[in-house]
Amino acid sequence: MSLLVLGANSLIAQAAASHFAEAGHKIIFAGRIQDEPEKFAKDFSIRYNIECTSEIVDALDYSTHKKFAEDVISKDPELDYILIVLGYLGTQEKAQSNFDEAHRIIDTNYTGVVSVCELFAAEFETRKKGTIAAISSVAGDRGRQSNYMYGSAKGALSVYLQGLRNRLAKCGVNVLTIKPGFVNTPMTYGMPLPKPLVASPQKVGKDIYKAMIKGKSVVYTPFYWRWIMFIVKSIPEFIFKKLKL
Amino acid sequence: MLKFEEIQLSGFGKYPKTRSKLSRPSGVNEIKDFLKSGEVTPRGLGRSYGDAAISDKGIIAESLLMNKFLSFDESTGILSCEAGVSYKDILDTFTIRGWFPYVTPGTKYVTVGGAIASDVHGKNHHKEGSFSNFLISMRILLSSGEIIECSRESNADLFWATIGGMGLTGFILDAVFRLRKIENPYMTNKVLKLKNLTALFEKFEEYDEDYIYSVAWMDIVASGSKYGRNILMLGNHAGNEDLNSRLQVKSKEKYVEKKISVPFEIPFSTLNKVSISLFNSAFYMKARTKEDFQHYDKYFYPLDFILNWNHIYSKSGLIQYQLNIPEDRGQEAVDKVLKKVVEFGGGSFLAVLKKMGDQDGILSFPFKGYTLSMDFPVKKGVIKMCKQLDDIVLEYGGRTYLTKDSILDELTFKKMYTGLWEKWMEIKHKYDPENKFSSSLARRIGLCPF
Repeated sequence: MSLLVLGANSLIAQAAASHFAEAGHKIIFAGRIQDEPEKFAKDFSIRYNIECTSEIVDALDYSTHKKFAEDVISKDPELDYILIVLGYLGTQEKAQSNFDEAHRIIDTNYTGVVSVCELFAAEFETRKKGTIAAISSVAGDRGRQSNYMYGSAKGALSVYLQGLRNRLAKCGVNVLTIKPGFVNTPMTYGMPLPKPLVASPQKVGKDIYKAMIKGKSVVYTPFYWRWIMFIVKSIPEFIFKKLKL
Repeated sequence: MLKFEEIQLSGFGKYPKTRSKLSRPSGVNEIKDFLKSGEVTPRGLGRSYGDAAISDKGIIAESLLMNKFLSFDESTGILSCEAGVSYKDILDTFTIRGWFPYVTPGTKYVTVGGAIASDVHGKNHHKEGSFSNFLISMRILLSSGEIIECSRESNADLFWATIGGMGLTGFILDAVFRLRKIENPYMTNKVLKLKNLTALFEKFEEYDEDYIYSVAWMDIVASGSKYGRNILMLGNHAGNEDLNSRLQVKSKEKYVEKKISVPFEIPFSTLNKVSISLFNSAFYMKARTKEDFQHYDKYFYPLDFILNWNHIYSKSGLIQYQLNIPEDRGQEAVDKVLKKVVEFGGGSFLAVLKKMGDQDGILSFPFKGYTLSMDFPVKKGVIKMCKQLDDIVLEYGGRTYLTKDSILDELTFKKMYTGLWEKWMEIKHKYDPENKFSSSLARRIGLCPF
């Protein structure tokens, strides 16, 4: 069996993939930056003594997605797991005054994922098996002034995955929505986050692996974010709108 | 945009500490941006004890995300990897396949970049030399932004200046080096309980031919009739035919390490003359002269079992002091140093004595002689005592290890490394004329003029 990772240079993706590799799965790393997926594939093939290959794909270059999916599927008819870790945090303030930034946030976090997901969903639907997992965010659970551009794109993604899950459930294909909280990655490095709430990519990667193997629908990682977000979501809007979050 | 966090940073000894801008670049381009903005201090896992990887100027660039294996040749054992790869990565990946690092320090939480910059040695130095003996080539990012490859054949000056060069010639990006073929992960382990220094120096010679690894634990607190008591530990990689059937089966299984952690700094010093003396006595009493097998993890990395063991030294931290004395008057000098330490009463429980062999290199620490490494809780009088040790070391033509150091002054350093630092500075000037690569250590001992 094999795993396709979209967004190869993500530490979370690599951490999750390491568990698949240890279990002996083949890995395909796909990413945008030339040479990088190949480098990660080489590292994994040495580190875990497994077959590991690479593909170049840009989440925003929609016209290339069909060929990319066909290539991957034809090269690897055993493809069983897809993990999509595409994300761009951007800058909220910049996105408010500069639509290009807002556009990029929406496209990378949402449009690009939808484009790729549909292609593999169709394939898995005919095969009647497989798992599609994508990284959304706790930020998508409720819009907040500090990052609603990113949050709204992730929120849209969560709803999209929910619908896709509903569609594919009847043919035995699982769709997993992953909602990480703060993770210690280059995306958040140097940001003033509450240290005890910042998880390591290894912890998050392990949670993702477990949830994918077990066929879960939604996973919050670390687990306590489910409760944090439960509280955040239950605050009445007339109070919430006055909060500085 | 330069990404960094501004924190109070130190080496593993937690002394000294300084406000540093710590960054974790994902690749070369980020480091190039740092270089354009000012000084850069390369850092790996932060296991050097003193101030080699901290700085109150510029940016500290951690190599930990640049940690990919690049290639491995199963037929020759030649590994190519990025500088942020750790010994732990190498061990986890290769021991099960029958390969082991030729030279390993006493912790596996050391990066390849750190191993080169410190030119680390292990228990086999007297037989096989240091890390650089097995290093084939490396690629270095210079302060100009240029990336150049160096080896014994090409850009040899940069190659030798980078080995033991404390990260001050450039940012080591990746390296090619050889691994050793082993039959299994076990070590033959011979333990000798010895009463004094003379016995130890005799045994060093007696077993010189039979074992490639040797190291002695010293009780440096005991005085009077117990003065100089020690435990000599000798070892080899075990052959498959040496192992009993149980170990033969176990050696094929994936190794799962058990670890405990000291979760926080103990707020006051639990280490005092009484506790250390009790520990040392218990350790010595418990030891038996014996011969058995040990897994490499216990054999080479006994302290890694306790993560963050440095926390037991409380907030004020510890000073590691490692000296190397030429062979001919080695025993006399070690005796003099030990007496000074015992008299001070500030001894530690981690004192280790071993034989060293010849070593190529410029600022590489080892040379043929005897090395003694000790740690002391930072407290009143300790620095003064270490300075007195410096005098003994100088008197006998020895030197101390920059990777452990946090107290040397420029003049003493230049005496210890006379003839070498001048040569090194010429190469530094050639490749880093503006002193972009620096550290607190470099400024303290004059390897980077202010």
